[in-house]
Amino acid sequence: MSNSFLTASQQKTRRKNFVTIVTLLVLIVITFVISMNTGVIKLTPMEVFRTLFGQGDAQQQLILFEFRLPRIVIAVLVGMGLAVSGAILQGISKNALADPGILGINAGAGLAVMLYISFFPTTKAAPVYLLPVLAFVGAGFTAILIYTLSYRRHEGITPMRLILTGVAIAAGISSAMIVLTLRLTPENYQFVATWLAGSIWGSNWRFVLALLPWLLILLPFVYAKSRVLNILNLGELTAIGLGASIERERRWLLAAAVGLAGASVSVSGGIGFVGLIAPHLARQLVGAKHQFLLPTAALLGGFLVLMADTLGRSLLEPSEIPAGIVVAVLGAPYFLYLLARLKE
Amino acid sequence: MSVLEIDHVAIGYSSTLIVNDLSVEIPKGQISTIIGPNGCGKSTLLKAVARVLRMQNGAVYLDGKAIHQLKTKEVAKRMAILPQTATAPGGLTVFELISYGRFPHQAGFGTLRKEDYEYIHWAIDVTGLREFSDRPIEALSGGQRQRVWIAMALAQGTDILVLDEPTTYLDLAHQLDILLLLQKLNKEEGRTIIMVLHDLNHASRFSHFMMAMKGGNLVVNGSPKEVMTKENLQTVFNIDAEMAVCPYSKNPICLSYQLYDIKE
Amino acid sequence: MTTSTGVGGLNDLDELQKRSHPIRGVVALIVGVIGLLFAIGLSISFGAADISLGTVWTAVIHFSPELTTHQIIHDIRLPRVLGAALVGASFAVAGAIMQGMTRNPLADSGLLGLNAGAAFMLAVCFAFFPSLPYMYLILWSFVGAGLGVVIVYGIGSLSKGGLTPMRLVLAGAAVSALLGALGEGLALYYRIGQDLAFWYAGGVSGTKWSHLQILSPWILVAMIGAIILSRSITLLSLGEEIAIGLGQRIGVVKIWGMIIVLILAGAAVSVVGAVGFVGLIIPHLARYIVGHDYRWIIPCSLIYGALLVVLADFVARIINPPYETPIGALIAFIGVPFFLYLARKGGKEL
Repeated sequence: MSNSFLTASQQKTRRKNFVTIVTLLVLIVITFVISMNTGVIKLTPMEVFRTLFGQGDAQQQLILFEFRLPRIVIAVLVGMGLAVSGAILQGISKNALADPGILGINAGAGLAVMLYISFFPTTKAAPVYLLPVLAFVGAGFTAILIYTLSYRRHEGITPMRLILTGVAIAAGISSAMIVLTLRLTPENYQFVATWLAGSIWGSNWRFVLALLPWLLILLPFVYAKSRVLNILNLGELTAIGLGASIERERRWLLAAAVGLAGASVSVSGGIGFVGLIAPHLARQLVGAKHQFLLPTAALLGGFLVLMADTLGRSLLEPSEIPAGIVVAVLGAPYFLYLLARLKE
Repeated sequence: MSVLEIDHVAIGYSSTLIVNDLSVEIPKGQISTIIGPNGCGKSTLLKAVARVLRMQNGAVYLDGKAIHQLKTKEVAKRMAILPQTATAPGGLTVFELISYGRFPHQAGFGTLRKEDYEYIHWAIDVTGLREFSDRPIEALSGGQRQRVWIAMALAQGTDILVLDEPTTYLDLAHQLDILLLLQKLNKEEGRTIIMVLHDLNHASRFSHFMMAMKGGNLVVNGSPKEVMTKENLQTVFNIDAEMAVCPYSKNPICLSYQLYDIKE
Repeated sequence: MTTSTGVGGLNDLDELQKRSHPIRGVVALIVGVIGLLFAIGLSISFGAADISLGTVWTAVIHFSPELTTHQIIHDIRLPRVLGAALVGASFAVAGAIMQGMTRNPLADSGLLGLNAGAAFMLAVCFAFFPSLPYMYLILWSFVGAGLGVVIVYGIGSLSKGGLTPMRLVLAGAAVSALLGALGEGLALYYRIGQDLAFWYAGGVSGTKWSHLQILSPWILVAMIGAIILSRSITLLSLGEEIAIGLGQRIGVVKIWGMIIVLILAGAAVSVVGAVGFVGLIIPHLARYIVGHDYRWIIPCSLIYGALLVVLADFVARIINPPYETPIGALIAFIGVPFFLYLARKGGKEL
């Protein structure tokens, strides 16, 4: 990337940012290999490669292609979706605490799942394909509710009102969930609680297919809006002065954030923390420019969830720790360390 | 010749009107300044011109076209706005922030083109920020930061600059520094500059055209010699001003002043 | 065009004087106290065995142990309703202090890691010491709340720039996420999540005199502390620079504020769990009535917080007898619409 208009140190920053992004990619690949190798049946890296190129035996193929690979792909995709969603929300609200949770996405999805489980306590096999759909509907419905409630004629949406409304609705939904919790049988409760804690349980290509289109459409869309996010970050007045139609841009970006997080949450449950910390960490690594921030946050999110899922699968074999818990246990101390170290 | 025409404008928040039926024509290629006491509606007027606030009534015309009907990006290509309280997010460098000024000229994916770089580098040079261009904004002093924001507005490449109190929080020398820079931009490049200033003497020294507001109305407008009179200052600010002549601009300035209430 | 420095500070003070309403404060306090007493009487008289308000009164004044009604009042209903009042008052005052100190309208005691800390410790107790008596559970919850606060406050103060409100908020969120995840992990692994939910749903129903005896001196002292501190919190709510300019030792005020919040919210959270909404909405309500002076906001929050929880507990008992509806759900049920209304109407006030 040589560009005669950039000074030497700007080119250095650019190079550094590219190195960061490449490093993250490498980390994901390494974790991928480790993850392949983790589980009840071990596959060595060589076996993984051989199987990937069609040289493995039937059992290896089954494990790799039908169990591990879809799960790994989902983990990465979910992480990316949540991280980018969080980056969008932090960008447009200028609030460091914004994450997909403020749009009620986690709460809405959780409530939908819980309602279903408590009124149709079916066997575990039946709702597997229905649950993500329900969760997505719940998430979308809650987001629309919050948006409508914080919309005011002539003024549109202000980020502050959006956050306040989101907090209130999420609190209301949580308390409804408390009431429902008490009605559940212990088995159903355990299922719902695991779901809420956030775990990549839908390890199946169908989930990949359900999730992938959202990310394929929305991630490039959001990336193309990098410049708009940069401008929105400067505050309302400046953004208008620079010619951004902020009301329309906000609406599209919010919709994209809801789509990304809703699709992710519907297959993963509540791994909300990724959406909060991945953008923060990315900002520390590559700065506030969204052209770099968004890809870095996406890769970090993917890496975090994949690592968390891998660890969660292997630490307490044969039982699993939900990835959401591992993410928080690993991510929070690092986040706190950054917080203590930084001046601003 | 006027570049901006403010025509019977009324602005207010819900029920209370802050600006009442105000009309004025702002001349092209000149420095125009709005003065007036706190709460007189000058910032509100500027925000309406900057299309941040909706008007209850009337219209603002940019070269004869109603500003609220123009595409916001088109307006941004003609007119740059520097709000009073501009805050940059953490982690941006000077260069990055200034490059954001190219936003209205970029389309689609928006990589910076040759022309964009030329504007950015020109803005950096003209504001004297060359040595700071790779520093993070947080590391700059107040005066330097204000220069960065002005540079961003300059990189926008507009012939009109609208600034809301660009010298607030700066010391004497840095205030002058900013105003001289704006004067240079006006003289050498013929840019139209519209701003709100609190310092009457600065307003008089650097403006071609002044507007004095009080209680949401335009009290008087014209050249500094017409506006900066003892009588006008009494009407607008309720002060008894001792007038003198600025040795640099030969415009009237206020040497010192007393409140009428105290004098009696 | 007010600015936050110099003359602007004085403007803020003027503003404050204009916007605080002592007369409304007095009226609000009197109405609140009457309402609270009435609610307490109501709550005692209703229940599985209905007791007339007159009997309630005589039971309090001339308690005679032979009468069953007097015993019910004395042993079950009175401690419960007093517990509810204490919890509500504590949450509300803690929330008011937090909002004033951080100047953040969304702040409540949960932000300090209190709720997550208490919930985590409770999960530990349920997982490893399932036979612990109620009293010890409360104590350990309190320890957990303290742990949360110490981590958040420690991280905030250790950092280079000191404990800014922003850093407090972020550290609080991260610590809450960490402790919450650990608690959740324990709950899942040991399958105690639902037991925990039932424990919290119980609300103040298990309150006994012995608990009140331990809790109330602490809460009382903390309340007095909060009222003494209220003037300083008013100044702090105008911004740190102004507070320093007015001769306030903000470091000291902050530490005392934290300690008071820990005692109040820690005690409350260990009894009923995270009923965070009380601490969030009551201070807003108080500010709406009495203006921006914390000398009025804090006493008002105290009374109305108590009133809200007493009423919520009352409704929780009678809505679906003999089952109890979780009190947190009821408070949210009342609080959410109110909060939405505020968010929609105000914007600036919030």
